[in-house]
This record gives sequence, structure tokens and C-alpha cells, in this order.
Amino acid sequence: MRLFLFYLFSGIALLSAVLVITLSRPTRALLSLIVALFSLSALYLLLDAAFVAMANLIVYAGAVLVLFLFVIMLQGIGAREAPLIGRFRLSYLWGAGLAGVAFLTLLIRLLGASGFQKSKIFSESIAQFGETLFKNYLLPFELASLLLLLGVCAAVSLVKKEDS
Amino acid sequence: MNFSLLLPEWIALGTLLILIFREILNGPKSRNSSGIAILLTGTALLLLSLFFLRNSPGSAFGGTFVLDSFAVFFKIFFSLAAFVVLVSSRFFFRPLGGEKTAEFFLILWCALLGMLFLVSANDFLILFIALEIMTLSFYILTAYQKGNLASIEAGVKYLILGSLASAFIIYGIGLLYVVAGSTHFDSIQAAFAAQPGHKLLLLSALLILSGLCFKVAAVPFQLWAPDVYEGAPVPVVAFLSVGSKAAGFALLIRLIFTVFTPFDHERKILFPVLAAMTIIYGNLGAVVQKNIKRLLGFSSIAHTGYLLIGLAAARDSGLAALLYYLLTYALANLAIFFVLSLTANELKSDQIDAFRGLAERSPFLAASLFIALLSLAGVPPLAGFVGKFLILSAAIRDHLMWLALIGILAIPISLYYYLGVIRSMYLEEPVHTASITVPGSAKLILGLLITGILLAGFFQSPVFRIVENALQHF
Repeated sequence: MRLFLFYLFSGIALLSAVLVITLSRPTRALLSLIVALFSLSALYLLLDAAFVAMANLIVYAGAVLVLFLFVIMLQGIGAREAPLIGRFRLSYLWGAGLAGVAFLTLLIRLLGASGFQKSKIFSESIAQFGETLFKNYLLPFELASLLLLLGVCAAVSLVKKEDS
Repeated sequence: MNFSLLLPEWIALGTLLILIFREILNGPKSRNSSGIAILLTGTALLLLSLFFLRNSPGSAFGGTFVLDSFAVFFKIFFSLAAFVVLVSSRFFFRPLGGEKTAEFFLILWCALLGMLFLVSANDFLILFIALEIMTLSFYILTAYQKGNLASIEAGVKYLILGSLASAFIIYGIGLLYVVAGSTHFDSIQAAFAAQPGHKLLLLSALLILSGLCFKVAAVPFQLWAPDVYEGAPVPVVAFLSVGSKAAGFALLIRLIFTVFTPFDHERKILFPVLAAMTIIYGNLGAVVQKNIKRLLGFSSIAHTGYLLIGLAAARDSGLAALLYYLLTYALANLAIFFVLSLTANELKSDQIDAFRGLAERSPFLAASLFIALLSLAGVPPLAGFVGKFLILSAAIRDHLMWLALIGILAIPISLYYYLGVIRSMYLEEPVHTASITVPGSAKLILGLLITGILLAGFFQSPVFRIVENALQHF
């Protein structure tokens, strides 16, 4: 079952990641990026890293990408742009190759090091995490949502064109 | 959990939601004035709920939200200020027509909500988020007149400098968390008491206090104030100079006399110097101003200086004097900006020259401005005199003779520039002679404010009792 779920979510993640760079409408590309992040979070959950999964959901999928969505929608929903893949240039490969090498070295270093343990901070169960967030920090959490709402209203009122 | 303690906040949130949904559902059709009716009803309900809660102190959310008499005092203060500002912004925006005001009211209301949470915060996390709700609203409100380049410039300046101040505060809070392992006021106070000489704690207290000094525009964190006051729409300046400043002082009082009590020795060195610098800078800066909003910006810096004396002096006499001064300052400033928002569209200029002969065009507005300006200067028997008297006598009682002397010497300087406006209104010939009509509701509110200035000058004891009642937990 775990294995099946792993392949399922990896598949979704890969597929939506490809869609991000091939779709021509920015909104759709962004939405598939959100799907990719969701399935990544599911993968983290399968690895028992509940905190990382939740942080990924709340911070990236929840806050950052929805912010992107607002920016794109303020610019105009219907705008069609060439998909990212259409703007690909061979010279980009240099950067990608460099980043890939750096990532691989990091990975080999980390995996090679012995005594690679689960961090203590992130080993809390998801129930504990939820309880802390919605019990001890309920008021700041809700206030932060008010702050975001205000941010949205502010952005709309500043960007909107006067119709007179 | 005691959810009823948050009744005023629930009411304010409900009002906000009603306003948002009304705006979304009605769309462009809702450009009439019924939005303000909802907000005024909300303010009335807010005041009513505060009236019922005033004698039932308590805390909610694990002690992170407190409602004591101090918080109730400031919540009533903010609600009343918001009421006056809402009415004055209606008069200010009505002739401008083209600009949509629904979002303006909505964001103004958010600022009020932030203030309501701010004075009840007993945890640095809530303090910071509430502070951000308030200041973010003010950034937007300052830049609200998109057609006006000065307004946008002021908004951007305020945003950049304000974010820097917020960064100071959040950095300080982070350091506090490193040492105390919590953001709760009580546990941080315990950490301070356990190791008062800890360098990180000192640094974090300094960072947080500088951030708050920015919010109240104390020297050397005052540079934004004149520019923002000059560029922002008049009702926003009113709320900024009264609400935002009062919120900053409420926080300063709560932090200095609860969390930062181990720094009492440092407080007695730091705050007299800050107060003296702020009084001198504000008053000297105001003398050369030609623009009345800029002049009031410098004058608000000067008044911050007097209020800081209240923090520099001994706790008992200083705090009561500070709150009294804050009340008299708020009454006078609200009255002045109410007049300015009524005249802004007639005079079409913020220059002091534009006020020439206002006494002939509208004797009522000129008289109101006259009384309010004299009260700010501290002329007896008006409210401002009592405030200055209490503040200066608190300084003298705490052996800060030199500070009191600076405060007294600054009064003639302030009289000079306030009288400059008055001379222009009464002694000089008007450019236009068309009389300015004042709506009845504006007359009522302005009349109430002026009556307040006169009453708080003649009958000190009822006001003093309110102030002492607010401070009973300190």
C-alpha cells in the first residue's frame, strides 16, 4: 500500500511538474505547481516527516503560491503567454547542470555521512503539530489570516483602476 | 475559555465581514454612503460591548489575550477616535466623487481592529501581528489618493521606513525567544528577572523599544512623520496622529511597566534624553513650516516629546499624566483635522496662506480651530494646559528639573507657530470671500470635541478619575 501510494504521488508530482512548464496559461501552470507541491507533501508524509509536509503545504502551497495566483489574476486572467518550455535556450543547460552537480554532491555527502538520524524537532507527530498550532497559537494563527485578508484588500484597492 | 472577553473584537470582525461581502455582492453599485452607516453602527455596538465589559477583567487564549481596565480604556479611546475619523472622512471624500471610498473605510476599519488586538496582547507574537495589521493599513491609507503624487510618495516612504522599524521589533522578539524560550509576556518577564544583566535581553529590549519609538515618532526615529503627514489624506493623518500614536504609547507603557521592569534604571536614563530631543526637534522644526499638515506633523513630534516625559518620570504620577495628556492631545488633534477635512475641498491647498480670512468665511470653523490650536499649545484654561501642567509637575516631582525646564521653554515656541495659523485666519484678508457651509452633523461632532476640550480644562477630576481607573492594574 505504501509503495503504491509512493508511486502514485511521485507520478502526479512528475506529471504536474511537466505541466507547469508546458501549459500556456499562467493560471493553469500555477495551479499545476500547487498540485505538484501537494503531492510532494504527500511523499513527505509517507516518509513520516509530518512537520515538513505541513510546512510545505501551509507556506508554499498555501501562502506563496496563492499570492502568485493573486498577482497573475490582477494582471489579467485571460493573458496567454508562451509556455516556459517554449522559451528554453541551450545556454540554460549550463546553469541547470551546475545546480544539478551541486545538489548531487550535497546528497552524496549527506548519505555518505554515518549517524544520519531523524532530527528531533521534526519527529513530532502531526497530531501534536496540529494541537500546538490550533491550541496554543490559535489567536496568532487566526490574526495572521486577518493580516492576509487585509493584504489582499490592500492590493486590490491599490492596483485597481479608477473608473471615472 | 472566556470567549466573551473578545466581544468587541468579534463585533469589529463581524462588521468587517459584512462590509466585505456587501462590497463583493454589490460591486460598483455600492458607491453611496450606506457603507458608513454599517461602520458607525459597528462602532456604537463596539462601545456598548466595552461598556458592559469594563468591570470584568480577565484573560483568554492561555493568558495571551488580556482585557484589563487599561485595555478597555484604550479600546474606548480608539473606537471614539475611529468614529470621528469615519465621519470626517465622509466629508473629506464626498466632493472628490470619483475616488471609491468603500475600500478606504474597509482598511480604516482593519486599522482599528489591529489596535483593538494590540492593546490586549500579552504575547509578543500577537503583539507583532496586531501591530502589522495596524501599520499595514496605514501604509495603504496613506497612499490612498492615487491621483495625488504626494500621497503615493508618502505611502512609499512610510512603507519602507515602517518595515524597517517592524524588522527591528521582530528581530528583538526573536532574540527574546532565544533566551526565554517563549513569547509570552509572563515567561519573558521571569527570564528578565532571573538574569537582568543578560546582553541578549538588553539588546532585544533596545530593538523593540526603538521599533515602538518609530511608531510614536520620537527623535531619532521621527523622519517619516512630517512627510507622511503632508502627503496622506487628512482623515488618515487624524487617525495616524491620534490612534497610531496612542497605540504606540499603550504598548510602551505595557512593556516598560510589566515585561521590561528590570530595566527601570536604564529607563530613567534613556527616556528623559529621548523626551528632551523630541521636544526640541519637534518645536524648532515646526517654526519654519508653511504647510499646515507638515506643521502638525512637527507639532505631533513635539507632543510625543511631552508624552515621553510621562514615561521618564516616576511611575505613579508619570503614567496618569501621560494618559491625561494623551486625551487632551487626541481631542485637540481630532478637532483640528476635522476642520481640515471640512475645509480641504474648499481651500484646495494645505498652505497656511490658504487659511487667510477663514474667520470671515466660516466663523464656526475658525473658532473651533482657534480653540483646538490653543489647547495644543497649552493655554489655560483649556484641556491642553492641564495635560502639560500634570506632565511637567510629574517631571519636577521626579527631580527632572532640566527636562521640565525644556518643556516649559518650548511652550512659547509652540505658541508662535500655532498663533501664526490663527493670525492668518483672523487678521488677514481672505482671498475668496465665498462662505463655507458646514453640515449639521459636522457641527455637532466638532461642537462635542470643542466642548470636550473646554470641559477637560475646567473640570479635571472626572477625567482624572477615568485615567486612574485605567491604571489600577499598574
